Amino acid sequence: MQNLMNFRFALAALTMIAFLVSWSGAGYFGMELLAEIAILGLLAMSLDLLAGYTGLVSLGHAALFGCGAYAFAAFTVLWGWPASLAMAAATLLTGLLSLIVGAVVTRVQGIFFIMITLAIGEMGYEIIFKTRALGGDDGLAGIPRLDLTAIGVDLNDPGAFALFLLLILPVVYLLLRRLLASPYGAILNGLHDNPVRMRALGLPVQRYQISIFAFSGALAGFAGTLSAQHTMFITPQLLHWTTSGEVLIMVILGGLGTLVGPVIGAATVTLLRHELSDLTDYWSLWLGVFLILVVMGGKNGVVGWLEAGWSIVRRGRVKRSSNDASR
Amino acid sequence: MLTDSGFWFVQVLNSLQLSMLLFLLSVGLTVIFGLMNFVDLAHGSLYALGALSGYSIARATGGMWLAYLLAPLCVMLVGALLYVLIIDRMRKAGPMKQVLVTFGLIFVLLDIQRYIWGTDQLGVTSGIPFSGSFVMFGETYPTYRLFIICVGLLVFAALFLLLEHTRLGAEVRASVDDPETASCLGVNVERTFFVVFLIGSALAGLAGVVALPAFSAEAGMGVSILVPTLVVVVVGGLGSLKGAFAGSLLIGTTLTFGQVFFPSFASILMYALLVAVLLIRPSGLFPARG
Repeated sequence: MQNLMNFRFALAALTMIAFLVSWSGAGYFGMELLAEIAILGLLAMSLDLLAGYTGLVSLGHAALFGCGAYAFAAFTVLWGWPASLAMAAATLLTGLLSLIVGAVVTRVQGIFFIMITLAIGEMGYEIIFKTRALGGDDGLAGIPRLDLTAIGVDLNDPGAFALFLLLILPVVYLLLRRLLASPYGAILNGLHDNPVRMRALGLPVQRYQISIFAFSGALAGFAGTLSAQHTMFITPQLLHWTTSGEVLIMVILGGLGTLVGPVIGAATVTLLRHELSDLTDYWSLWLGVFLILVVMGGKNGVVGWLEAGWSIVRRGRVKRSSNDASR
Repeated sequence: MLTDSGFWFVQVLNSLQLSMLLFLLSVGLTVIFGLMNFVDLAHGSLYALGALSGYSIARATGGMWLAYLLAPLCVMLVGALLYVLIIDRMRKAGPMKQVLVTFGLIFVLLDIQRYIWGTDQLGVTSGIPFSGSFVMFGETYPTYRLFIICVGLLVFAALFLLLEHTRLGAEVRASVDDPETASCLGVNVERTFFVVFLIGSALAGLAGVVALPAFSAEAGMGVSILVPTLVVVVVGGLGSLKGAFAGSLLIGTTLTFGQVFFPSFASILMYALLVAVLLIRPSGLFPARG
């Protein structure tokens, strides 16, 4: 187990190095891709907390992501708040909303949980879609980015913005890793494995589920504020359930409940989409086939494959060394 | 507006017609859900396939009648293929993986449909039965929509007879109620599920081809109908014919009248209804399993 944790940590470090190396050689388009990967990576990690670690599969997570983006846009564009204050307020607001939503949705389990999160997410989508003050179906434009000129960084430069996001990513990763290693993280794992037994142990199951739903929602909202700053133009599509589905795909492709997997999944899907859409108009067909094969393959996504490969390599090495000893 | 009988007449027929389409779609899905706890998000894509293949058949034969017969068969064949290749292997995998695999299937089927039929709206204009309209309470109403309502009611009656008065129906009810005991008593639950899946696919195809003359077909139509169908299934209660029928009427009426009275909030009303039902009666209005 400890070994597995170290392996994943090494994988996370390697992924980060790969991002930074590609950043140093990227052109304008590469910077945009890296920024998108970093944002989706944050969102996918937040969903992994729910789906992977706690066993709450939500199909409405994009609505919280969109809530963060729209709250940020409303605070900056409509009310003229500075971006830093707007980011904090939007994250907090999404967290509060997630707390309320979490209190409602955690009352049902399993397939019903999937359905109720889908329904509430779609409600959010419809509300934004119909609200003219937020641009309705036309979307909302003219969103500013955080002003870091005080420390000599201009985030309107695509390279600087991509690096800014790529530096947030490992910070959040380390924080979540710390959280999951704590007793609280152990409780989440217990809820994933056997909620009935956790209740029998005297644990207020629903209260813990609500708390992680709220925390995960706040993180999704934070990713939303970054997404609004990245594209500077947002549409209700951000909140749609198919967006939630795509993020879930990233989590699964990368490896459920591995934290680094969702980031790898976000990178894989974003790059695949980019590469395949150059080659064919029907790229989502291949994405779908890929997804079906990964899920039916039985391993836990990319991280699962790598871990299986690593354990074969290690077993080989252990065998060789024991052979050496007996000789 | 509210005291005008013509207005009520048109709106009630509209909501009945939408309800019957939703019923055709949701009845297969609800038994698939209820019988094997299988989450099938690709069901809406079969609806689109029914409409699109119906379009091609109608174009080739110059009339809709053959399309009504052949399009559900086509969809059933595709359903059988999906079952053998994918569904059967995912049976024991848990809802999470089923959601993902069938979500992947949505992408695959959508792009295949786009590849074959393009992205345009395809409408049938000639050879439609009951293409006239009639006048009642001072309102003209297309006869074809009455036909849709009749198809829905007929299917409901046929399924009711099938479930209550045939051996297959008894096996389906037993398998929904308690699969382990049913298989101990010699019911081939696997085969029952396969048959139900085929019937469900064919009904989704039928819904598509019946809707074709009224709404025209396009590749994306399966995705947009999916969510209301899932709502019907959950509101009605998993696995029950009565639940699918009641749920369809409730959601069809909510959507139609919501569209008239609160145009901006029609679908929000539907989701609010779902959330309310899940919180008050988590297993739906008429669940098959008590």
